[in-house]
Amino acid sequence: MSDPNGTSSVGAPTWTDLDAAAAGAAWPTATLPPGARLRALAAGLPGVVVEHRELHAPVEQVWGFIADLPTSVPTFDASVASLEVLARDGTRLRARARSGWWFVRMPLVFDVDLEPGWCWMVSRPRLYVVGMAAEAHPDDAGRTVFTHLEGVPFGGRILGPVLRATRLIQRRHVSSDLDGIARALGLGP
Amino acid sequence: MLRDLAPYLGRICGAIALDAGDDALQEAMVAVTRNLTTLREPDALRGWARRIAVREAVRAAAGGRSVPVDPGRLDPAVSVPDGATAVEVRAVLDALAPEQRAVLVLRHLDGLDEAEMAEVLGVAKGTVKSRLHRARTAFRERWTA
Repeated sequence: MSDPNGTSSVGAPTWTDLDAAAAGAAWPTATLPPGARLRALAAGLPGVVVEHRELHAPVEQVWGFIADLPTSVPTFDASVASLEVLARDGTRLRARARSGWWFVRMPLVFDVDLEPGWCWMVSRPRLYVVGMAAEAHPDDAGRTVFTHLEGVPFGGRILGPVLRATRLIQRRHVSSDLDGIARALGLGP
Repeated sequence: MLRDLAPYLGRICGAIALDAGDDALQEAMVAVTRNLTTLREPDALRGWARRIAVREAVRAAAGGRSVPVDPGRLDPAVSVPDGATAVEVRAVLDALAPEQRAVLVLRHLDGLDEAEMAEVLGVAKGTVKSRLHRARTAFRERWTA
């Protein structure tokens, strides 16, 4: 039974009551932590490498360093001489990175999505992607699980051998970046 | 695009797979990104991703703790409090089979009709109808217990 307002009264509710209740109630919602989000993206991008590392520092300290991209990126990435933010609209940025290597003269412009614990950078044109994610270690708030992704955002059978070669280089590069981040935070040699 | 998709798939996976929802969402997102290039019509992304999420969520739930029960034998001790806004949907969802949760989710979160639900779930319309009826009966039993 239901009253004219659609709320249940004494006795069994109508199907309309049940529908209204189910539609208005809080349903359980699943979430994807930033690191898992990066790994999910990597699954669809055969040209990228993704690696995670535990850093012995709280996530606020780690992200405090990373989020200042013009300072952090040239510090931890040996291949970047400078990074400049060209435009900013909330969490969306446009940034220009210049290589530190003399043979790579062309600067790369990136569209950046920067949120707490999450950074996703896609170059223009779409030739290169960079992803970074940080979250507190589930068992220790003093540690951070940092996930780093880099590579070319395309694949396919024809490009297979090329991608295998670039992935080897990428793997070393991502590992070097993670070393650089740990060093910059005073955690590494 | 995927940024907007994740919260939507999270609602589907959470409501169907419950405690295994995060794992289901991860698997669904992996399947979506891995197979994105096979999608011929970008406009169909949401519906296509929804099918993947429902499939992964039902699979994750089947491997988890949730066990289908006879709606007529629900434990009255954990009955739903009266009043539309105070309904603990979670208590009811816990008692349903993943397939039944799936029809409730598609009906109430997505507003799909029976034909659309049948397409998403890959079952006959009559099957959807009976699952929905059983799910609603469970809801009703729990409510009035």
